[in-house]
Amino acid sequence: MSMNFSEFKRLLGAEPRSRDPEFLHARQSSPEFEAAAAAAEQFEARLEQSMMIPGPDGLTEKLQSISQTTAGDAGHRRRWPLALAASVVIAVGAAGLTWNMNRGWDSVEEYVMDHYRHDGNRVMAMAGADETVNVQAILSELNVRAVPELAGIVGVIKYCPTPDGKGAHMILNTEAGPVTVIYMPETEVTDREMLAFDDVQALLVALPGGSAAIIGPDQRQVSSLYGFIQQSIIPLAGKS
Amino acid sequence: MISEAGRQAKFNGLAEAYGADLYRYAMWICGNDALAKDLVQETYLRAWKALDKLNDIKAAKSWLITILRREFARTFERKVPKFTDVDNVVVREEQELEPEDRMEIKLLRQGILNLPPKYREPLLMQVVLGYSCEEISVALDISKSAVMTQLFRAREQLKSRLQKDGVTGNVHELF
Repeated sequence: MSMNFSEFKRLLGAEPRSRDPEFLHARQSSPEFEAAAAAAEQFEARLEQSMMIPGPDGLTEKLQSISQTTAGDAGHRRRWPLALAASVVIAVGAAGLTWNMNRGWDSVEEYVMDHYRHDGNRVMAMAGADETVNVQAILSELNVRAVPELAGIVGVIKYCPTPDGKGAHMILNTEAGPVTVIYMPETEVTDREMLAFDDVQALLVALPGGSAAIIGPDQRQVSSLYGFIQQSIIPLAGKS
Repeated sequence: MISEAGRQAKFNGLAEAYGADLYRYAMWICGNDALAKDLVQETYLRAWKALDKLNDIKAAKSWLITILRREFARTFERKVPKFTDVDNVVVREEQELEPEDRMEIKLLRQGILNLPPKYREPLLMQVVLGYSCEEISVALDISKSAVMTQLFRAREQLKSRLQKDGVTGNVHELF
């Protein structure tokens, strides 16, 4: 049975470059079909032109560098249930978890541990792969900026999930070695609360706009960055 | 068991073959250059770690897209970012176009960004990634007829938008 014009137009709208024999046969069956197909092709060409975004310069090389910087790491990431509670020590602010939200994580502490276990090592591995680090562009999306002293030591920065929406995950190249900082624009924490889990220490910092977690292998190292981080992530003018 | 050099060669091939497509796709789902680059990089990091699970190289593109879509959903499940800068990324390519053509493209882009995700995503897969309706159906886990309906409606909405905005260039002749 041959295709009627209504069916033909529907197919044209769904798959204008279809090579289906029945479709091609219908196209040639009358000038009306042929004209509709030609118009659809014209629209399709413009649509393709609209959607064609050039890839960034150096994209391939940058992606390929991932295999060099993480060679040998087959990704056997530590799993969340791994002796979860046994290794968790809340050293400061043990009076209670900071807040409950019932949106995936029960507390900011749980979020920090979960997120770091999920992404901590991988983001650390990215530090060598990043050629250009656009700290201010990412932070400005979150309505803050980094002072130059902070921006200058960020080795990698990426967006990350937080309990209250989008945040930023940074690796700072400090004199004492790399340190992770997670910026949470909308999340409140108990200031100076220290968490110890697995083989790292995490210090929560209340900021003028949001909060941060400083995570590193050594308590003294993360504590020494408390004042620096608190003064280095500044709300943009008009934001608080 | 594939050697480390073999793994790297396989991975480098994937970066070369699909990196730009993934970036384009990421740009259209998140509308932000920095975020799109980050999504693509994250996708390839995960791909590198899970490379041994990719047994059929012909399935690599859809495998990478699946990783990217999951990563996008995971990162932004609670708060989808605002579209900001598709035009900024492409504008340098279009200086040679006539003003009327630029206008049409700009309107089409706005239309694409304003499409509901259920229409935009199959359209992206078809136009940007070159997927067939069957492939889209598998990727989105919906029936082929649903895919065709969504594609048809996506295009109808884009054409309506151009009509509404009174485009007088080539696309106008289509209506």
